[in-house]
Amino acid sequence: MENYKTFSPQPGSARAASAAPDLSTLELLRRAQAAPPGVWDELRGGLELKPPEGDPQFVPLSGPWSEFVQHLGPQGLVGLNPRVAQLERQVRDNGISYNVYADADRPQRPWSLDLLPLMVDALSWQQIESGVLQRMRLLEHIMADTYGPQRLLKTGMLPTALVQGHPGYLHAMQGVAPVGGQHLALAAFDLARGPDGCWWMLSQRTEAPSGLGYLLENRLLISRQFPQAFETMPVQRLADAYRGLVDGLKQRSPAGADAHIALLTPGPYNETYFEHAYLARYLGLTLVQGGDLLVRHQKLYLKTLQGLQRVHGLLKRVDDAWLDPLELRAESSLGVPGLLQVVRAGNVLLANAPGSGFLESSALLGFMPALAKSVLGEELRLPAIPSWWCGERSAMQQVLPRMGDCVIKPSYPAFSSRNSFEPVMGRTLSQRERDEWSGRIFRDGAAHTLQAFLPISHTPVWQADAAAPSVGARPVILRVFALANAQGGWSVLPGGLARLGTREGIASMQRGGSSADVWVLTGRSGAPSGAAAADGQSQSENLGKGPSQSQTQSQTQASGQTQSQNQNQSQTPRAPAPDGTAPLRPWQGMPSLTPTLAAGALRQRIVTSRAAENLFWMGRYTERSENILRLTRLSLDVLGSEDQTCAPLIAWLNQLAVAHGLVVAGVPAAQQSRRVFERSLVAGLWDTQHTTGVGFNLKAVFLAASCVRERLSPEHWSLIEQAQNTLLHPDVTDLYDPVQAQRVLVRTSQLMAALTGAQTDRMTRDDGWRLLSIGRHIERLDFLAHALACAVGAGALQEQAGFDAVLALFDSTISFHAQYQQSRTVSALLELLLTNADNPRALAWVAHTLRARLARMGTLADGGTEALAARVPQLASADLRALCPDGLHTTPALLALLQDCRDAARTTSDSLNTLFFAHSGESSQSVGA
Amino acid sequence: MLLRISHETCYDYAPGVDTAQHMAHLQPPDTPYQSVLSHRIDVAPPCADFDTRLDAFGNHRSYWAMSSFHQSMEVSAHSEVRTHGPQGDLVDAMARVPDAAGNAGADVEALALARRAGQPWEAARDLFCYAAGQATDAVSEFSYASHHAPVDAAFAAYAAPSFSAGRPLAAAACELMERIHRDFVYEALSTEISTPALEVLADRRGVCQDFAHVLLACLRSLGLAARYVSGYMLTEPPPGQPRLTGADASHAWVAVYLPELGGNRGLPHGGWLDLDPTNNRAGLGTPGHDYVRLAVGRDFADVSPLRGVLQGGANHTLQVRVTVAPVDD
Repeated sequence: MENYKTFSPQPGSARAASAAPDLSTLELLRRAQAAPPGVWDELRGGLELKPPEGDPQFVPLSGPWSEFVQHLGPQGLVGLNPRVAQLERQVRDNGISYNVYADADRPQRPWSLDLLPLMVDALSWQQIESGVLQRMRLLEHIMADTYGPQRLLKTGMLPTALVQGHPGYLHAMQGVAPVGGQHLALAAFDLARGPDGCWWMLSQRTEAPSGLGYLLENRLLISRQFPQAFETMPVQRLADAYRGLVDGLKQRSPAGADAHIALLTPGPYNETYFEHAYLARYLGLTLVQGGDLLVRHQKLYLKTLQGLQRVHGLLKRVDDAWLDPLELRAESSLGVPGLLQVVRAGNVLLANAPGSGFLESSALLGFMPALAKSVLGEELRLPAIPSWWCGERSAMQQVLPRMGDCVIKPSYPAFSSRNSFEPVMGRTLSQRERDEWSGRIFRDGAAHTLQAFLPISHTPVWQADAAAPSVGARPVILRVFALANAQGGWSVLPGGLARLGTREGIASMQRGGSSADVWVLTGRSGAPSGAAAADGQSQSENLGKGPSQSQTQSQTQASGQTQSQNQNQSQTPRAPAPDGTAPLRPWQGMPSLTPTLAAGALRQRIVTSRAAENLFWMGRYTERSENILRLTRLSLDVLGSEDQTCAPLIAWLNQLAVAHGLVVAGVPAAQQSRRVFERSLVAGLWDTQHTTGVGFNLKAVFLAASCVRERLSPEHWSLIEQAQNTLLHPDVTDLYDPVQAQRVLVRTSQLMAALTGAQTDRMTRDDGWRLLSIGRHIERLDFLAHALACAVGAGALQEQAGFDAVLALFDSTISFHAQYQQSRTVSALLELLLTNADNPRALAWVAHTLRARLARMGTLADGGTEALAARVPQLASADLRALCPDGLHTTPALLALLQDCRDAARTTSDSLNTLFFAHSGESSQSVGA
Repeated sequence: MLLRISHETCYDYAPGVDTAQHMAHLQPPDTPYQSVLSHRIDVAPPCADFDTRLDAFGNHRSYWAMSSFHQSMEVSAHSEVRTHGPQGDLVDAMARVPDAAGNAGADVEALALARRAGQPWEAARDLFCYAAGQATDAVSEFSYASHHAPVDAAFAAYAAPSFSAGRPLAAAACELMERIHRDFVYEALSTEISTPALEVLADRRGVCQDFAHVLLACLRSLGLAARYVSGYMLTEPPPGQPRLTGADASHAWVAVYLPELGGNRGLPHGGWLDLDPTNNRAGLGTPGHDYVRLAVGRDFADVSPLRGVLQGGANHTLQVRVTVAPVDD
């Protein structure tokens, strides 16, 4: 602690005389908003630093910021405004969001990211890194003890009220040895810099910490904005730490390097689902939900198209209480029945081991210094914010008079049964309110923790006001991560997630706070410390080895460099890459992962049953959306043209609109009132409650796609989002106006064309993609066969307007005119739409493609899909003369064939459901006697 | 007393169940107050992965999986248990203590201590308040709120008349048990296991589990340690009628912790005074020789006799038949 306080970053400065920053940059920096009095100013590198009198050219700046502005290029800070616009566009384009769709009708909130990164200088980082690793060792020890011999409880080092009395402690895990020898594979630590320039720990997250994906995305976007500064300063790279995590998880799992590790998500309704999908894709882990997994013979399996696949490790983002309905919350559908039994049997690694939730309580912080001394024989290197747990009477009596300087926090947050509440700032309370709180705390001291109020440092933000851009200052909390590494210990990811508050305080991401990239700077002289810094002591503890030379060394210089000891352990010194570490690359879709991380995923090519089902329906709904879109546009065109007088055509369109639910039930037929029908058709576009029109189907595409988001490129996802939003939040002034509607539909058509391109050309053609394609062709076969049958029935083909409309609905107008010029004969039309093998809208072509795709699936279902393929009619060889011998006067054979097509489409869909999906959607239920 | 217990649970599923996993607390433990002479669990149709181990509270907990399609499941637990009972009935013991000092058994003596010279209940409460570096009694984990036995001012208020200042804990707890027995109506099927204890307190009606949870919640709301006990009790058929097979039920009661008799004093009951609010019976270590303990925990959720998760089986019917019969020997 003393040691720590001696540290103080060296303020730098910028002068106009030194070459780079131009005058306006200096002016902006001079006028940059200052941190409030008594608050550390990250930009200026100190407390209440003002430009000295008499030197108008001198601007106090912290070392990193003074360097940063040198690298901004000729335009300096003035050039930042366009970058903000760029950044916002990228966030949107990449589909980065926080709450994906708690309510599907509400627009998603894009991720909020500030342009300027938080700078962490090398000296600060050394303190943070060694302090976090030390705390990680301590937390691991607490887990091992509380679930094992419980010495800390028996000797009163830890109160049982905060362990067994905390709902996050799971009795079910008591006495269970952790798989891989450790309970904790990762943890997040929230830090803030106080007025003394020191970093303080505010809280720790172990149950299912979030941020690892967002911070990666932040890095990708921000490093791109400041390439020169990023390269030159230089900033520590992140890839090694992520790779270390995957390797570390594998190593700790029962299968070692060959392990299959999955990321367990609560699903698309979770507010951080974006991150789960993103992280799974980056790390090359299978993204799974509880329903995708099952337990057999005390082992964990994933349901895939290829059958059951063993899973050896779960990086879990589901809260512990929901992990296993058999032993924990019976009503949970997010978990896997029997999962804890698998853990007990040592057959799966859970990162982290279930039951670490109690470690997150602020109440524990006050016990840490004594624990560190007793357990590790060390002083804590990273001090925590002073905290008093009121369950200890002496602490309560000590702190109650100081309530005004404290924050009152729940000891058991989020557990309403344990008197949880929203944190309260003591200084905002009136005397009467303070008395009320005192009474409340007196009655249930254990539920309350008081923390000293820390004025936390303010970091510069760019305020992109077009006329008067400026540099603001916002309070910042830094979340850093300790991650398992391949050496059996932990490394601190050399970066983090900075969360920015308002001047009033820090807001959580749920409440609309913003974030920033975190640049951890390497020391000038040394090589980058790298991400693979191993914690020597933890290795000796956990691997049961005596301290080796290198490990002892790491202890004596614990806050220093760790690269050399790493090399000692692996016996193979790694040559640092020219630029320090492997660069992060932006990826375009699945295959562009950095090769090392993706290798496992590509090798296994697992398609979970759930993903398969969603891909299938995504295919069906995309195709249906396109068809319905074309039908609606065609109908509006006809109703707005002279063709509206063609009775058979209107009857046909009306029949299709009703059959597909494009208008609300009970609307007069188009033949009776064309205008009412037209308005109803337009209104049905956006009405997802009462019709199944374009909006409804695009929403369905979105829902299916969000369940397989990890398989979609950001561009693909963005198209789906845009398409949905175009319909659900239409840019029209009148929801019944056909002219405005047509404009929206033209835009939607363009998006759909791009979407189709993304699906046909940009996805890996594995069995999952095949099911998507099968879904599309089933839908197309059914839709077109039905439309043609109706056209024949309504007599639309005998009219020129009807004839043209049918061609248009089949998207075959151009093909027809190219082949047959102006001769509108029914046989020519049937040839092109029914038997032609080159027209992708011809039923023969659709049937042929469907058969081919089904046949390719044969190995998965023991030939089951080949039997299905045989059921799909052979149309290319159909004899048109036999089908309709006398023009369209006698049509039973034609109609029967079209009905065959529809039946085949439906049978295929049902059978695929039984063959591949049936077991994925089934719900389980809990019983008790 | 030698008791033969059969506990049969039968599920009929419609439609059938594809796979299922179950957890059971159906095997009685050996304690100073009961010796288990024989025990077996049979599952039909045959199950897989059967595994029994001790849980965090020292109970036998069994796990098994049903790995193929089935339309019913029958679980039969058969145990033969010799009970030893407390050494003297509680009320007897208390009455006898004044003139029996020195002659009565150790437990009676201990009880007398608790009753007359026992520490005030506040001392037990304060024991569970944390103070730095002070050794903590492991039973303190039974003093915290749990799902079925929450801590609430309403419970503390109900308990308050029995817990006057300075009163010995055993006496106060016994009186609280008597009051619940008197104030609450036993009404089969009036509640479900999910009925909150607060609601039972307000309605004053329920079954043995409810009374146990209310008593637990009262004791914990005062800061005392108490645990849930599941088990069986021998019931006597009405005079002149034969004992009916399967007419009994599993039973539940409470044990409160008396610190001055617990810890490492080596007493057979470990300081646990069992209290059965349903039948107004109390005794150190067991309410009586007609009781068999199955499992202990913080509340029902820790010890539910049979719990499972099914794939399929949207509808099911459940039949539980318990028979407790004395064996002549």
